[in-house]
Amino acid sequence: MRHGKYPFIIGFLVVPVALYAIFVVWAYIQAFYLSVYEWSGLGPVENFVGLGNFRKMWDDTLFWQSIKHNVFLLIFLPIITVILALIFAFLLNVGGGQKGGVTRGVWGSKVYRIIFFFPQLLALAIVAVIFGRVFGPDKSGMINGLFPESWQPWLFLADERYAMGCILVVLVWQAVGFYVVLFSAGMGNIPTEVYEAAAIDGASRMTLFFRITIPLLWNTVQVAWVYLGIAAFDAFALVNIMTVDRGGPDGATSVLSLMIYRNAFEFSQAGYASALGVVLFFLTLTFAWVTLSATRRESVEA
Amino acid sequence: MVAPAVTPTAPLKRRRKAKADEGVITVGRSRSGTILANTAGVVFSVLMLFPVYWVLNTAFKPADEVLALEPGFWPSNPTFDNFISAFNAPLFLKDMRNGVIITLIAVAGALVVGFLGALAIARFSFYGRKAIILVVLVVQLVPFLALLIPLFLMLQNVDLGFKKFDLTDSLPGVSITYLVLILPYTIWTLRGFISGIPRELDEAAMIDGCTRAQVFWRIILPLTGPGLVATSVYGFIQAWNEFIIINTLNSPENQNLMAWLLQNQTTRGTAWGPLMAGAIITSIPVVVFFLIIQRNIATGLTAGAVKG
Repeated sequence: MRHGKYPFIIGFLVVPVALYAIFVVWAYIQAFYLSVYEWSGLGPVENFVGLGNFRKMWDDTLFWQSIKHNVFLLIFLPIITVILALIFAFLLNVGGGQKGGVTRGVWGSKVYRIIFFFPQLLALAIVAVIFGRVFGPDKSGMINGLFPESWQPWLFLADERYAMGCILVVLVWQAVGFYVVLFSAGMGNIPTEVYEAAAIDGASRMTLFFRITIPLLWNTVQVAWVYLGIAAFDAFALVNIMTVDRGGPDGATSVLSLMIYRNAFEFSQAGYASALGVVLFFLTLTFAWVTLSATRRESVEA
Repeated sequence: MVAPAVTPTAPLKRRRKAKADEGVITVGRSRSGTILANTAGVVFSVLMLFPVYWVLNTAFKPADEVLALEPGFWPSNPTFDNFISAFNAPLFLKDMRNGVIITLIAVAGALVVGFLGALAIARFSFYGRKAIILVVLVVQLVPFLALLIPLFLMLQNVDLGFKKFDLTDSLPGVSITYLVLILPYTIWTLRGFISGIPRELDEAAMIDGCTRAQVFWRIILPLTGPGLVATSVYGFIQAWNEFIIINTLNSPENQNLMAWLLQNQTTRGTAWGPLMAGAIITSIPVVVFFLIIQRNIATGLTAGAVKG
C-alpha cells in the first residue's frame, strides 16, 4: 500500500480506546480500589480495611441469599428461554412441514416473529410496571382478576415462595422473542437441502430438530446461553421495581446487583458496594469463560 | 467461534420460491403435528401479547373503570383523558425533550466513533487488534452496575485542565455515558458489515486513483448504509429505554421518560390510567423504528457474528 496505514488506525481508534480507557478500565480500577476501603460515598477515602469488606460479605446472610437467587436465575433463565426459543424458532422456520419439497414455517410465521419480538421493545421500566399489574396480589391484579370473586387471591410477589418465580417468568417473557429471532436467523442459514435430504430419508420433525437443527445451531445456542447467564447475574431493574420492599419480602428476591445499588446509594456503604461489584465482576467473567469452554465442541459446518 | 455466514436475502428468496411451488407435491407429514404446531404458536402469541393488550386497555379507560374491581376486557367508554393528563403531568414534556436530546447525541456520537473504529478493526491488521476486539467483547459482558459509583465520581470532577466541570445532573454527562454504553455493540455490528464488503472493491478504487480516505468515504460508507440504520435503531432503543444510570446521576428535571414513569409509579400510586398512557407514548418511537427495520432485524442481530 502506498500510504502509511498507521495514521488511519491511530486516528480511527483514538476516541473509542480513550472512551473505554476512561469509562470502563479506569472505572473498574477505581471500583477495585474502593473495595478495600470502608467509605460512605462522601468525603475523603481514608479508612483502609484491606479484605474487611469481603470478610463482611462472607458473614452477610443477605449476600448468600442473593447469590442463591442469582444462581436460581442462572440455572432456569437460560434453560427455559433457550428451549422455548428453539422450539418456536423451529416452528417458525421448519415446523410447517414440506410442500413441493420446500421446508416452511407454520402458517403466519411472519406475524409470530413480530409478536414474539414485541416484549423486547418495551423498556424494562415499562415491563416491570406492567407485570406489577399482572401479579397484583388482590382482585385488581390481572391474573387474580381472571378468577371468581370467591377465590383466595394469590399473593405472587408478596409470597416468599413464589416471588422469585414471578421474576423468572417476567425475565423469560421479555427475553424469549429476541432468541427466537436470533435462532431463526441461524436456522435460515442452514441449507434447505439438508432438511430435504433428511425428510426424504423419512426423518420426523423430532429427528430434524435434534439431529440437524441443534448441532448446526450449536454456536448460536452457546452465545445465547452466555447472554442469558449475564442477564441472570443482573436482573436489577425488575427486582428493583417490581418486588415488595425492593428485594423482599424478607430478602426473598434480593440479588447481587440490587445489593450493590442499595449499599452504594441508599445505605452509604460505597466501599462495601464496590467490593460486591468486584465479586459480581469475577462471577460474571468466570461464568462466561466456563460456559464457553465447557460447551465447546467441534462445530458442525453446514 | 465459527459463526454461520449471514446472507440476509437468502431466506426471502426461499420464501418466494416456496410460494411459487405451493401445492405441487406434498411430502406427507402428520396432519395432527401441524395442527399442534399452529396451536402452540397461537397460545404462545396470546401469552406474549396479553400484558401489552392490558396496557392499551387500561390507557383508554376512564379512571373509575380502571379501579373497578370487575376487570373489563374492553373500555366501555373509551377516552383520551389519560393521554391528556399524562401530557399535562409535571415534567412529562421536559423529560421527553431530555430523552430525545440525550438519545440523539449518544446515537450520533456512537455511529461516528463506532464506524471509524469498526473500519480500523475490519480493514487493517495491526498490533493490538486482537486485544481491542477482546475488550469490546468483554465490555459487553461485565455488569455496569458495579461501575455506577466510579462513574458518578468521574463525572463529578471532569477536569479539562483549564476548567473543572460537574457533569452529574446534566444532559451531556448522561449522553456520553450512553454513548459508551452502546458503542461496543455499534463497533461489533459495523465491523461485521464492513467485513462483508469485498476488499477487491477497495483495491479497484485505489487502482483507479482513489486515496484511502476516499475509499472509506465513497465506497465503504455508502455500502455500510443498512448496517448504520440497524445499529442506530438498536442504539436508539437502548439509550431511549435506559433508566438506571439516568435515575442515579440526574434529578427529575434532567431525566428521561423512563425515569419519569418510575417516579410516577411510586408517587402517584394508583393513577394507572395516565401511567399506562405514558408508557404507550414512551414506547411509540421504539415501536415505529422497529417496524421500519423489522424486515432486516435478523441481519442486524447477526451481522456481528460474521467472521472478519
